[in-house]
Amino acid sequence: MSSLRPYLVAVRSTLTAAMALENFASQVVERHNKPEVEAGTSIEALLNPLVISRNEKEQVLIEPSINSVRMSIRIKQQDDIERILCHKFTRFMMMRAENFVILRRKPVTGYDISFLITNFHAETMLKHKLVDFIIQFMEEVDKEISETRLSLNARARIVAESYLATFG
Amino acid sequence: MILLESHNVVIQNTLAEKFNKPGSIDVVFVDFDGVRFRLSTPTSKEIIVLSMNIRCWDELAKYGVTDVLQREYGSRVMPQPEADYHVSLEYAIDSIPPPGEERDALIKAASLLKRNALAAPFENAFATQKTLESSETSDLPGQLMEIHYRDEEAIYIQAANDRVTVVFSTIFKDETDRTFGKVFLQEFVDARRQNTAMQHAPQVLYSSRDPPLEIRNVAGLKRSDDVGYVTFVLFPQHFSNPERMQSTISHIQLFRDYLHYHIKCSKAYMHSRMRARVAEFLKVLNRAKMENKEVERKTVTGRTLVQR
Amino acid sequence: MALLAPIILDNGTGYSKIGFAGNSDPSFVFPTAIATREHVASTGTRSGPPIPAKPGNLASKRGIEDLDFYIGDEAVANAKTYGLHYPIRHGLIDNWDHMERYWEQCIFKYLRAEPEDHYFLLTEPPLNPPENREMTAEIFFETFNIQGLYIAVQAVLALAASWTSKSAQARPGERTLTGTVIDSGDGVTHVIPVAEGYVIGSAIKHIPIAGRDISQFVLNLMRERGETATIPPEDQLRVASKIKEDYSYVCQDIVKEFRKYDEEPYKYFVRYDGEHSVTKRKYSVDVGYERFLAPEIFFNPEIYSSDFLTPLPEVVDGVIQQSPIDVRRGLYKNIVLSGGSTMFDHFGQRLKRDLKRLVDQRIEASEISSKSLIRSSGVEVNVISHKKQRYAVWYGGALLASLPDFYGYCHTKAQYEEVGPSICRRYQIFGSASS
Repeated sequence: MSSLRPYLVAVRSTLTAAMALENFASQVVERHNKPEVEAGTSIEALLNPLVISRNEKEQVLIEPSINSVRMSIRIKQQDDIERILCHKFTRFMMMRAENFVILRRKPVTGYDISFLITNFHAETMLKHKLVDFIIQFMEEVDKEISETRLSLNARARIVAESYLATFG
Repeated sequence: MILLESHNVVIQNTLAEKFNKPGSIDVVFVDFDGVRFRLSTPTSKEIIVLSMNIRCWDELAKYGVTDVLQREYGSRVMPQPEADYHVSLEYAIDSIPPPGEERDALIKAASLLKRNALAAPFENAFATQKTLESSETSDLPGQLMEIHYRDEEAIYIQAANDRVTVVFSTIFKDETDRTFGKVFLQEFVDARRQNTAMQHAPQVLYSSRDPPLEIRNVAGLKRSDDVGYVTFVLFPQHFSNPERMQSTISHIQLFRDYLHYHIKCSKAYMHSRMRARVAEFLKVLNRAKMENKEVERKTVTGRTLVQR
Repeated sequence: MALLAPIILDNGTGYSKIGFAGNSDPSFVFPTAIATREHVASTGTRSGPPIPAKPGNLASKRGIEDLDFYIGDEAVANAKTYGLHYPIRHGLIDNWDHMERYWEQCIFKYLRAEPEDHYFLLTEPPLNPPENREMTAEIFFETFNIQGLYIAVQAVLALAASWTSKSAQARPGERTLTGTVIDSGDGVTHVIPVAEGYVIGSAIKHIPIAGRDISQFVLNLMRERGETATIPPEDQLRVASKIKEDYSYVCQDIVKEFRKYDEEPYKYFVRYDGEHSVTKRKYSVDVGYERFLAPEIFFNPEIYSSDFLTPLPEVVDGVIQQSPIDVRRGLYKNIVLSGGSTMFDHFGQRLKRDLKRLVDQRIEASEISSKSLIRSSGVEVNVISHKKQRYAVWYGGALLASLPDFYGYCHTKAQYEEVGPSICRRYQIFGSASS
């Protein structure tokens, strides 16, 4: 609990810094324009990746490049139930990645969910609001998983009691 | 819908319709646990035949199902069931009472055919318990009845002198189901302890992987991570009074279906939560989109650029 | 476990038809409506007890309110105390939460099937976005753990259903999935050309005339004659619908028909006996010209309203002419009817006659303009009517799902897990002799 605020502040400032993006045509394929962090072929276009850890289970990986930044999150999952809930939720979102624009359809290996922001996104969307969104997302995901878990327990209790009451 | 119902809606609706207005029919349909039904008029429009195929019929026959069905349906049980089915009931239109309570009761009884068939081993166990209780000699439990009512899942029933134990072996094919199943089953186990109103409920025990003592010696038990065993201990109060006994039988036999139904409902509930969350996120994200018109351009010294 | 019959779910905007493959009729036909408990503030107490249908008021406990709902006829019956919703609009699923729960009760309450043990066939309207298929698959595989799924276009199933008609059976080996489907239900009529099992999306046309409009027209005509005085107002539309279903037919010539009615009224006018639903008082009304005038609005829309003026045969002709030229003959040859509002007597014959007239006129005009040098071999126009028209889509699904190769064309749970929901965007067409 006490480490949450500093964690989010660190992520916010790193992400804001990483969002200095400019248009960059591909150096490999003529007349193409790819997010360099995804293509990975022009090493000079990539900047140093950075990992921000709250603890070993909760981490954020930020991989900047000249025209795009990829951010991957490892979400807190304390036990089997939270693992399943997290997995379902992230899969649910990633299936709707097209609507989300900045969401990546598959997470980077080792992480639960990934975002990809390109210079084109930064041109049509306000950068500080994008960062706001991602920070809010990180908070909401944790909240959602614990709330769902609680409601699951409540349901289980009612289901059990409803059934057993029929024998009384 | 919280509790699953005991009667089959297709049987109920179809018989009500056909008793009112006889006509020919031939429909096949199902019920939980792979039971297959057929309603048809093979010989004439005036005689409706209801047939059921239930995979554990042979075991049920060992535990007295023919007597139970004879008691419930009397002469309607056909001596030879239809091909590919285990039991057939015959309803001749001219033998049907006129519309009213009697007819409704007849239709209700028909729609409970599966429930009645599965009642046999339970009635058997309850009767055994009474005998054991009154006989002073025996401390040994009655026979262990096995009903393989689903592909990889079974019900085991055993009477003792002061209780009847019912063990369900159930499979969770999917990891999510397994995890949710554990949460649900833990609540079944804890219910008696946590809620004073539940003192009179049966005792429930749960173990994953290892089968409980009562059935340890049964051949061919699966021991793996996706198998769970749920034990219900029924006490005489649950089946001493005839009405109570019928209700207990109706509910206990649907336990596995009830559990899996609620696991699925929870998944559906989770979906609706996720949809709501996703909609909220999208709203926040849309706030980040710029509105092209309003952006006012200013120079460093503060003068505004104007579009001409 | 021996394979249990696949389940066929045909969810339409108005009604859902659900049942098992191998049967000739759906086991259940009820409205696609769901009545849910309106959301009460989570801190407040419930304003009233739930409808006493289940033991105890456990549904009012926080945590399980989402299971307190009704579907179909029960939903309509409980509409006063629950909020009534229609999750499907214009054929497309609008509210996924409601639809998921609707399916939940269809499967567990009505069909009493354990979805893990079954394959499912669902239907979709033409031009259904692929994302919708993914979301349907997500629900069925992840929530219900079904074994396999196939989503079929409704028009194609209507074509499959027509294979049972007498004329098709007379030409065995000619089961084709090319034809024009006229699907007329309660809300809207569609004319959909299909070539080799694939819908020609750009040529689809919708006609805003359907069952509801015809019932309304019957009511208007009866009102004009003063017949409706004895019918209680809340029952009027229902009575008009019943009269439409029992006594209406399509005539070949309005003028002749009027004359017939005027000459021999006792032969043609019928009496409808009704009973007031509450007071049980009996009343009866005369049914006259509306018998043949009502379905006439398909062929002469101007008699009903001036919003839409193109007669059905003209629309059908237009649709076929909009389609690629090489399939047109096939489209004319196999015009298939589906849906309750196509069940009027002689509907098929009248449509065929009017359409043939249009086609022949066009051929003649082109022959004249080519100065009679090019003669056409004629275009065969055929309208297929069959016994299963009312639930043709469901029946077509039941037929296809009972074919042995059905299971091979479904997407299985294993495939869904391996590849992901995107695999459910495409389904192969099967069943016709050509494939």
